[in-house]
Amino acid sequence: MRTSGLRPSLIFAILASLGFLVVVSWQSWAGNTVTLDSLLVATIAGLSVGSLYAISATGLVVVYTTTGTFNFAHGGIGVFSAFLYWELAENKDGIGLPRLFALILVVLVVAPAIGVFLDLILMRRLRTADLVVQLMVTVGLMVFLLTLTGQLWQADQARSVGFFWEGQGFFIGEFKVTWHRYMVIVVAAAIALLLRLLLYRTRIGVAMRAVVDNRELTALNGARPGMLSSFAWALGSSLAALAGILIAPEVQFSPANLNDVMLIAAIAAAALGQLRSLPLTVVGGLLIGLLQQHNAQWLSHGADWPFTRLAIAPIVLFLVVLALPQARLEVGRVATNLRPVERTTNWAEGAFGSVALIVVAIVLANGWLDFGVWDPGPWNQIALNNGIAAMVIALIGLSLVPLTGWAGQINFAPLAFAGFGAFLFLKLAGESGNALWIPVVGLLCAPLGAIVALFAARLSGLYLALLSLAFALLMAKLVYPHPKIFPTHTFADLSVGSYTLDSRYRFFLALIIVFAVMMFALVLLRRSRFGRRWVAMQDSQAAAATIGVNVILTKVIVYATSAALAGMAGVFWAISKNSIDSGRDFELLANFEIVLLMAAAGLAMPAAALFLSFRFVIEALGGRLDEAGSFGPLVWFLDSFLAKFGPGLLAIGMVVNQRGAVFEMGKGFAPLLPWRRDARRELALERERGRVREIGGLGLTEPFTGEALLEIDHELGVVDDITPAEGYRHAVHPEVADV
Amino acid sequence: MSEIDPSGAAVLEAEDITVQFGGLRALSHATITAHSGVITGLIGPNGAGKTTLFNVITGHQNTVTGAVRLGGRDVTRLGVHRRARKGLSRTFQKLEAFNSLSARDNVLVAAEMYGAGTGPARLADDILERVGLADVADITVGTLPTGTARLVELARALAVRPRVLLLDEASSGLTEEETAAVGDLLIQLVAEDDLAVLLVEHDMSFVMNTCSQIHVLDFGQMIAAGSPEEVQGNETVRAAYLGTGS
Repeated sequence: MRTSGLRPSLIFAILASLGFLVVVSWQSWAGNTVTLDSLLVATIAGLSVGSLYAISATGLVVVYTTTGTFNFAHGGIGVFSAFLYWELAENKDGIGLPRLFALILVVLVVAPAIGVFLDLILMRRLRTADLVVQLMVTVGLMVFLLTLTGQLWQADQARSVGFFWEGQGFFIGEFKVTWHRYMVIVVAAAIALLLRLLLYRTRIGVAMRAVVDNRELTALNGARPGMLSSFAWALGSSLAALAGILIAPEVQFSPANLNDVMLIAAIAAAALGQLRSLPLTVVGGLLIGLLQQHNAQWLSHGADWPFTRLAIAPIVLFLVVLALPQARLEVGRVATNLRPVERTTNWAEGAFGSVALIVVAIVLANGWLDFGVWDPGPWNQIALNNGIAAMVIALIGLSLVPLTGWAGQINFAPLAFAGFGAFLFLKLAGESGNALWIPVVGLLCAPLGAIVALFAARLSGLYLALLSLAFALLMAKLVYPHPKIFPTHTFADLSVGSYTLDSRYRFFLALIIVFAVMMFALVLLRRSRFGRRWVAMQDSQAAAATIGVNVILTKVIVYATSAALAGMAGVFWAISKNSIDSGRDFELLANFEIVLLMAAAGLAMPAAALFLSFRFVIEALGGRLDEAGSFGPLVWFLDSFLAKFGPGLLAIGMVVNQRGAVFEMGKGFAPLLPWRRDARRELALERERGRVREIGGLGLTEPFTGEALLEIDHELGVVDDITPAEGYRHAVHPEVADV
Repeated sequence: MSEIDPSGAAVLEAEDITVQFGGLRALSHATITAHSGVITGLIGPNGAGKTTLFNVITGHQNTVTGAVRLGGRDVTRLGVHRRARKGLSRTFQKLEAFNSLSARDNVLVAAEMYGAGTGPARLADDILERVGLADVADITVGTLPTGTARLVELARALAVRPRVLLLDEASSGLTEEETAAVGDLLIQLVAEDDLAVLLVEHDMSFVMNTCSQIHVLDFGQMIAAGSPEEVQGNETVRAAYLGTGS
């Protein structure tokens, strides 16, 4: 159902946004004189950049509506294409193709090929996957593409992409408008027109629109869904590439920055179009472009608000996700029964694991283990620092276990919560580093989680993911960079009473113990009534409500718990880094890496958080081997390949291994334990189930054969001249004979 | 259209319910009641609005007109979980078990909403035993066959100690023996615990054998109500099922 017309909440949102705009403009007015010329020029610039957002967002929407996959790698494809274009056309030492030729080659040949390739090897398998898996795989692909681009075109060289016509243009009054910008507007208009024709006037376009409504039905009517999805991916990638190349001259040309600019604006515009309306999506793109350029032209926010420009798209995204009704959330997705099944660890296993972790860490760090041929010796400062960094990230990862792993609330902003904890600790404990403040920080972070939960309670699935993305960006670009939050200030060493964790070894050990305790606490929590209730809510909100669970209150509690955990982890995080670099520490990619590795390991398992130490372990291993010498290729493989591409590749691997690595390990291992009779029986049941496939959860194991249907017809006395609708009624109501 | 009132006031009354989906009127001034100690059947062709009516009763769907009363109190404005806490419980047409939890935890999570200490655990084990699931209590429900998972849903619905139990196609996916066992269990529960059961069912012999009251819904309207014999003999009902007019 769609609610039509202007709902009160929407009117309120629009008024609130306008009010916010007026207040900000009032406060930050830069004092430039408003002339018709300057107004016109800022508008043209805004329309130009906005056109590019619109092109990019259109690609995102076309792929989503046709295939049901929301592609976080959309910006990544654009980034890779833009760098490829630079190589072909702009590189002074390169082959120097003419710009137009390179543009056509990349946009019409390479990018579509990438799209089709991705569709064939990855995306088709995602169609029936869980939303978490869908998101993680495309986010993983994004990280992979950005890493690949960064590795192929190393940051050691400054690059730029030139404007078409070398930046020449015409003047409006004293302001120059480049032909490039002008051309972009024309190109965008042409693309909008072509897409309209494609979707409404061609056979394939009509099929693409139909497939949104019902994949099976479209297939029955002769369209080939496989071909349609490949076409959509080709088209989407092509649009991403075009937007990436044309926007490159306007921004700082680095993979991460280009991705941020393109992806977030595209997502915000697509969200305004409710992920299906192309005209509204275009309006969204133009709106963001106009807001950005007029902001740059008229407002000056001062040194306290350094990244305001980058916050505009996230603000739009935030408001849009909150204000718009979410019609038909999971467009084009086939419902499946394939929710991640999770094994609970019993408390004894949890306790054993926690103690074992502490023992192993102490033994390793002290170098008590002697392999005979190779005695690694006690860890040096570098190894300890690596261990500390790993455990700190693992602690933050733990906060995702109850929230995302159990309650199913997707959260792309773990570092935003961790940052709040760091901020509170700095205010409360100041120079003292008194560890007793940490639980207080946890308690104070809980309300922040509760507030986010109130925003998030109404949302589910993809929109929830987008809201958390907007939240992460708002905190990263707007709140934390403010100098009052994290003044250039180093965090003191932690202390409990007179005992100070002043050596790296002590700090590392403290972290291991804190992690082990938290992990054990989570194992107990999962086995408590809260844990059960949260998992139940993830499995079925409707059913949870019918047994009396207050879904909103439950969400508030789980968000508060997660925020408290993340906040306390944030204290250790800040101390381990000595100081917070607010410009970089909260970046989207850092958040993504935590979520990706956590998901690849298995979000529902506390022990999976140890997996977040992945990169640090590999780097440490590489370092050790390098010291030992003569392991050249292996060191290169570990350092340059596995450590860098690992997170992305592991997440992409979820296409096959949807429940996470730690889960699969546990599943293989649990039946071996003498006391896990349940695990052995479950394995047997699963094997049984693998042989007998049920149809649509109906308890049927094979479809009706033609003969059986004929027999039913005969029994019911159905004759041929009956209308199809009535015939259907008879076919599904064999009981009619009893009446 | 005769309304037969077997024993005193109804514990559940859904009166004059209307639901509109865009241009489609799914329910049109439909009324249904359920009485303690009685199994009431709700039948009707596919798309007649049976599940929609269930959704209105439990609060998953809003009604345009009329009211839902539980034990005489108007609950029309209450959310799903508030109604559940007043003793309304249900199962779903499309399986909605907690797939990641074991069968015992499925029941326990419901029992825990209404008790503390060791009470819920004992209740859960009792119910599992009664429904015949003791054997698979430790198995994750997502790995169980659909029929068994349906029984888990039934067990979960019982664990909240309901006054009114709504069953949406309880027998679908069950074998004949399982269906018969569920029928016996329901008859037993209704007799012992003074439970009111309202069930949607396509298996006519199941309905005729277990229900003492039957309501018939067609195109969103109640076209008949009465004892199984009365409904079977009703011309309008036959017409609706045979599709020759309405």
